[in-house]
Amino acid sequence: MARTLERPAGGAPVPPHPAVVRLPERGFRPTAAGWAARAAAVVVPLIVGVWYVEANAQVRSDALATAAVIAIGALSLNVLVGYTGQISLGHQAFIGIGAFTSAYIISESHQPFLVGVLVALLVGAVQAVVLGLIALRVRGLYFALVTLAWGKVAEQCLFRLKSLTRGGAGAQAPRPSGFTTDRAYLLVCLVGLALILLVDWRLVATKAGRAMQALRESPQVAANYGVDVKGYTLYAFAVSGAYAGVAGALFASRRLTVQSGDFDFAGIALTYLIVTVVGGLRRRGGIVAFSLLYVLGGEYLPDLARAIGVHTIEVNAGYYIQAFSAVLAIFTLIFQPDGLGTITAPIGRWLRGERFQLAHGGGALGRGGGGDARP
Amino acid sequence: MGGVLAFEVSRPVVLGVVQGAGVGLMAIGLVLIYKSSRIFNFAAGEFATVGAFGAYLMKSFMPFFFAAILGVLAALVTGLVTERLVIRPLANRPRVTLLVATAAVAIFVIAFQFLAGAQGKLFAAKAIIRGNAFRTFGVFVSWQELVIVVVLAGAGVGLAWFFGATDLGLATLATSQEPTAARLMGIRLNRVAMLTWGLAGALGGVAGVLLPPLTQNFTPAFGTTDLLIPAFTAAVLGGMTSVPGAFVGGLVLGLVQNLAQFNVSSNTLPGAPAVAVLVVLVLVLAVRPTGILGKEA
Repeated sequence: MARTLERPAGGAPVPPHPAVVRLPERGFRPTAAGWAARAAAVVVPLIVGVWYVEANAQVRSDALATAAVIAIGALSLNVLVGYTGQISLGHQAFIGIGAFTSAYIISESHQPFLVGVLVALLVGAVQAVVLGLIALRVRGLYFALVTLAWGKVAEQCLFRLKSLTRGGAGAQAPRPSGFTTDRAYLLVCLVGLALILLVDWRLVATKAGRAMQALRESPQVAANYGVDVKGYTLYAFAVSGAYAGVAGALFASRRLTVQSGDFDFAGIALTYLIVTVVGGLRRRGGIVAFSLLYVLGGEYLPDLARAIGVHTIEVNAGYYIQAFSAVLAIFTLIFQPDGLGTITAPIGRWLRGERFQLAHGGGALGRGGGGDARP
Repeated sequence: MGGVLAFEVSRPVVLGVVQGAGVGLMAIGLVLIYKSSRIFNFAAGEFATVGAFGAYLMKSFMPFFFAAILGVLAALVTGLVTERLVIRPLANRPRVTLLVATAAVAIFVIAFQFLAGAQGKLFAAKAIIRGNAFRTFGVFVSWQELVIVVVLAGAGVGLAWFFGATDLGLATLATSQEPTAARLMGIRLNRVAMLTWGLAGALGGVAGVLLPPLTQNFTPAFGTTDLLIPAFTAAVLGGMTSVPGAFVGGLVLGLVQNLAQFNVSSNTLPGAPAVAVLVVLVLVLAVRPTGILGKEA
């Protein structure tokens, strides 16, 4: 995965980002046993995963589908926060618009599920680009405020327009025919996640990906190297919006109905941000892993709490993981900016046939992207 | 007809001024933090919620006035703890990192409230002084509303005096502009940070104690969901570094929200106040990014 910047942004004053520039070690080939161990490391978790789901298919496949949706949403946020250095605090708008669009297309326009997903993807991209147009003028922390206010408008106004979302009753979002059971729908979500991961992987490896990362380090320097700042900022927003549209469409059909109350600031925007941070910015593997851990934590932390004698009402027990992840996020920011990526990235390299080596990661949120200046 | 028209205008104006005073209190807390450390404090809303819950939980044990003071103290402690555990270790990081960290503080406090079983419930809020003070333009103004306006004015004048006329205020400004030089001049940076965060926590707590009685009750996390965005918009409108600006900005935002609330039917456009706030924010940032009273670029 060549993530070397073609033209390193920053040149002399900014040393190459340790997380970006990583030369592959030469002359190391795993032995046959080494390859076997790597194959086992892929296959065994897969078998365990399938066994885990099959043991209680109804509940567990739905939980894993949630994890896939969270992962896609967090990857969408990662494009903005991780790659481009823009921050979005209004992701409930991104996800919600995708969800309501898909629901509208499927149940009101009577189109197939796939059309719903594609239209949600497009609409998500368009709304993100509109927000991106504002980001061109307003940078950094001030833009974060705009996204925050935009999320609130979506929550309180857009999602309550009766003609679009059926108001409080909620919009119907049927699942695709043949995939109506939870177990089958999990497959749909996993395929969606796999496609997004593939796109994201290729995105980072291309010119556009390098341009976005150059923007994160410093828009001025990037512009001097001939990077189209406006174009690639909007491109990043479009990509992020498209991912979020897909996440929203999958979210909608998982629930079967979507209501305006599903997309609140604390539940979606902050949660996804924290999943992205703890998973590790620019660390796809870490983000997917923490999405899974987040859902599993929501499932098992209440039992654990009961076991050690902490009691709470059943319905509120799901918030253990939220509180716990918030603390984890602060720890991540202070001590380990790469988050779970610190563990997943070396494992990924090991699986591809390199020596196992814990790399020392770079800073989390980009060094140039302080965004402190007035817009 | 004339009377109805007067009511249509006067009611949102009076309510707007009062709620705007609460928004202004929070905005002053945001300005205080931004002025002294260039941080956008997304935990500010939860300082208010902590104040509200502190007063709510304590009021059955003592007269409400003392419960309210304990609530403000709880918010003050929250501010201090945030500074010590989250802000200080991250002091030299990019500002975006700190923004995410304060957002993490907010979600922790929110999740904690939900864990304690507060989700989806309404909590009755008690006024410091009950009853109506006077009647103007056909609208009753309660003592509580009067208290809010007076407290905002007091906080605004006090902080303007603090930054403008005291050595400690000057030290705070010096710290934000040049931390190293300030330290060499004998200013203890940690003390200054504790002071500003404690003060910001207390201001948030005061807003959290005083505002909920206007609507009779409050919901968990109301500081973040209802107050934070208007308060930030007010601070930006005022110039982000200006205490009087935040004061004026708060009043403007209160008016804008209430005029939108009263004059736009929720059938044509639900959530009109939220839309109005976004419009104000984008307009300010597009037309006059330094705000109405901002001096520093």
